[in-house]
Amino acid sequence: MKNNSKELSRRNFLKLSGVGAAAAGSIGLGLAGYQSGKDFDNYPGRESFHGQAQDFNRKKFEIDDSPYTQVDRTERVDARTGVIFARSSLLNRHWNEATGVDGLPEPIRSFYKEHPVLLEEDLRFRSEVIPNFRKDNQEYGDEFILAQAWSDAMHAVSPEIIKGDPKISDFPKGPRYGEPTEPYKLKSKGKTSELIKYMSYQFGSQLTGITKLNPNWVYKHQMPGRSESNDEEFKVPDHWNNAIVIGSPMSWDPMFANPNYGTSYDAYSRITITAYRLATFIRKLGYAARPHTPGMDYDLMVVPVAIDAGLGEQGRNGCLITPEFGANIRPAIITTNMPLSYDKPIKFGVDKFCDTCKICADKCPSGSISKRDKSIVRGYKRWSINVSTCYNFWFSNLGNIGCRLCIANCPYTRKSNWLHRSALNLTSNDPTGLSHKMFTEMQKGFYPSPDAQEYYSPSFGGSNASYREAPWWLKTDDFLKL
Amino acid sequence: MDFFNSGLFWFIEGILLIITIIGLKIYLHDKNIKMNLWKWFFISGWILLFSFTIGFITTSIGENEPIAAFRGGLIFGFITLIAGLLVLKIMQK
Repeated sequence: MKNNSKELSRRNFLKLSGVGAAAAGSIGLGLAGYQSGKDFDNYPGRESFHGQAQDFNRKKFEIDDSPYTQVDRTERVDARTGVIFARSSLLNRHWNEATGVDGLPEPIRSFYKEHPVLLEEDLRFRSEVIPNFRKDNQEYGDEFILAQAWSDAMHAVSPEIIKGDPKISDFPKGPRYGEPTEPYKLKSKGKTSELIKYMSYQFGSQLTGITKLNPNWVYKHQMPGRSESNDEEFKVPDHWNNAIVIGSPMSWDPMFANPNYGTSYDAYSRITITAYRLATFIRKLGYAARPHTPGMDYDLMVVPVAIDAGLGEQGRNGCLITPEFGANIRPAIITTNMPLSYDKPIKFGVDKFCDTCKICADKCPSGSISKRDKSIVRGYKRWSINVSTCYNFWFSNLGNIGCRLCIANCPYTRKSNWLHRSALNLTSNDPTGLSHKMFTEMQKGFYPSPDAQEYYSPSFGGSNASYREAPWWLKTDDFLKL
Repeated sequence: MDFFNSGLFWFIEGILLIITIIGLKIYLHDKNIKMNLWKWFFISGWILLFSFTIGFITTSIGENEPIAAFRGGLIFGFITLIAGLLVLKIMQK
């Protein structure tokens, strides 16, 4: 009897322990989950300096074919008309109501004659956008002082930009400047690529890829300020054989509080400094290197080169979508004659996902992202956006210039914790597209955001909404007496 | 490194899971419920689903996404409940 009771008590003890362990285990899981959602370790792109942020297994998704569908004769972009910064700047400098489009210089005169709708939209910048911005900024602008101060501070430091004739400015300057006259001989392309990637992480890049440069991506006429004159067609320099693409994400919390509280300049500054460090490293080994950095110091289109280098795919929003950071990446490129081995482009499901998702198009305040199928742009079938309407929203925004809402809204732009990484792995490996529909619906249902119109300032009929609440350190009211 | 990201935490979680399974095994034996591989498979599946639901809710709270935590909690919680009832039914067979 005594023995039986002892046996019973031991069994009961084990059963009770089981209940206790299940409860403790569940609480532990809950706390781990909470930590996983909150922890800075799961902020995508947290600087590692050793490349840990580039942790997606690209090998499985590499493709041998071109990542582009070429359907017609291709054409290089004329930066003076094809890049909105350059086009808008030229228009605003030369526009005269009396002479109209005929008073504009070439090439924008021909461009606007061919695209009168774009002329109307680009002129709205001065007739409506800027006057309304000034009015609203006087009334509501104070709310964003900390965000603006933070953005200005983030790009207070920048290197002296390399521009001018690439045949001179890209090459090492010789022993007087501590740079060699002849390039050092390299043991192998593969080892050099490995070294360059590791150095890029050391210098501050989070994602790095290497590709042979496709001359089609180089501007036919350069951006203003890149050379003495951009009237002449820009000949792609012979030494621009290879392109090293590096990338860094924008700070997570402000990016999620776009359009007002985020800034592009934190990542712009980081990646520009990284590009110049890497270019210096390459030149010290005797090879030519030219950094192409944001905001306007490019001689080529960055997204297609980054796609060639295997960093990601193009999304419906026109942005580069990477597995690690989604659309939250700011890239830069170093063109070089250093012999390197190449990465392959990847397809990890973005193209199919964007076909069904369309959240970025629904939530774009200016309606710049099309819900329609791909269109043909300069001979390639691809997603394209209306940069004129996009640009006008940038300048109507009271916080920091820009918008970045299509980045925050993209389902691929999520933290790198177990939850979103599992979703990424599922969608990447799903050939049926069923999971794409499911995750799109989950994104819409679980992560709702303001309607597109609400992001505008009051003069445009909105309420200065943000995608998510501003981080505590950018809430001006909590710190300044206004 | 935070405790909840550490190997020690998952080691303790593993021990707790083993204790839970031992307790469950004794409980089932005392209730004269005969187990087979399939039943253990369903129990394991339910434990995974239950863990996912807890993880989803708390991760969403940690991410400052209360709507996701609430709606996801409701949907996945309901699925976990139904699945739990089904597993109980299977166990009694």
